[in-house]
Amino acid sequence: MSEAIQAQLKRGVLELCVLALLSRGDAYAYEIASRLAKGIDMGEGTIYPLMRRMQSDGLVDTYLVESSSGPPRKYYKLTTSGQASFAAQKDEWTAFSKAVDEILWGPK
Amino acid sequence: MSRQVFMDRLRDGLRGLPQQAVADITADYEAHFAEAEAAGRSEAKVAAALGDPARLARELRTETALKRWATEGHRSAASAAFFPLLGLVAVDVPLLLPVFLAVAGTLFGFAIAAIVCFGGGAVVFVAGPFFHNDVAAVMLAALGVMAGSASMGALTALASIGFVNALVWYGRLHMRLLKPALG
Repeated sequence: MSEAIQAQLKRGVLELCVLALLSRGDAYAYEIASRLAKGIDMGEGTIYPLMRRMQSDGLVDTYLVESSSGPPRKYYKLTTSGQASFAAQKDEWTAFSKAVDEILWGPK
Repeated sequence: MSRQVFMDRLRDGLRGLPQQAVADITADYEAHFAEAEAAGRSEAKVAAALGDPARLARELRTETALKRWATEGHRSAASAAFFPLLGLVAVDVPLLLPVFLAVAGTLFGFAIAAIVCFGGGAVVFVAGPFFHNDVAAVMLAALGVMAGSASMGALTALASIGFVNALVWYGRLHMRLLKPALG
């Protein structure tokens, strides 16, 4: 697949993936970054601007947790509006990917 | 690249952003290095995975300025967006740089000309009647110059806004590292 198409696709789903990870439990950025880097091969550094944007959009909130090794960790959690956004985006994604699948593989 | 070099270059590139923003951004990347080290990864590998810090900083600065331009939309925000954008474009498409500079220079020239003509008109409007017998004609002519230069100024402003918006669109096309993070 061409690089441009991949970038466009990832751009669309990245926020959705972060929302999904956080819906299963609060996490710190490195966890999110390494999970996404492994899963959908995105640049690790990309996660930080994304988290900042999501925070300024009010989708996530942060709190500090003391860590046994090193400085306190910044954890992210979904806000109420983040949860609502996740539910809405998940439905949209499901409908969209189902429609694309039907075109790609033919109706089942 | 070592952690120290990466952070130095990042901090260098972020110069000009509000201090709090710089502190937040660098703290995120410091934490990233610390976590990676605890996971047993080498500094060089982590730095490579993060990408070129100078470019990262340039894209972060551009994005911050663009956001200010989009939400506030006034002139200081536009000029704050202009220079990091120019840097970004200059690296990617050096060929285009003279064109951008020419357009920016022309707009600047028009703006200056409009201001000067307006000032000249105002001077004639006030001082003209003392030096010329046909007072009404002089004052009307001066008013005409002022009105003309005011409309030229307004057109220049419109063209400048259009130019910056085009730059914004173009600049976004050229963000490689941050592209997936921009919504």
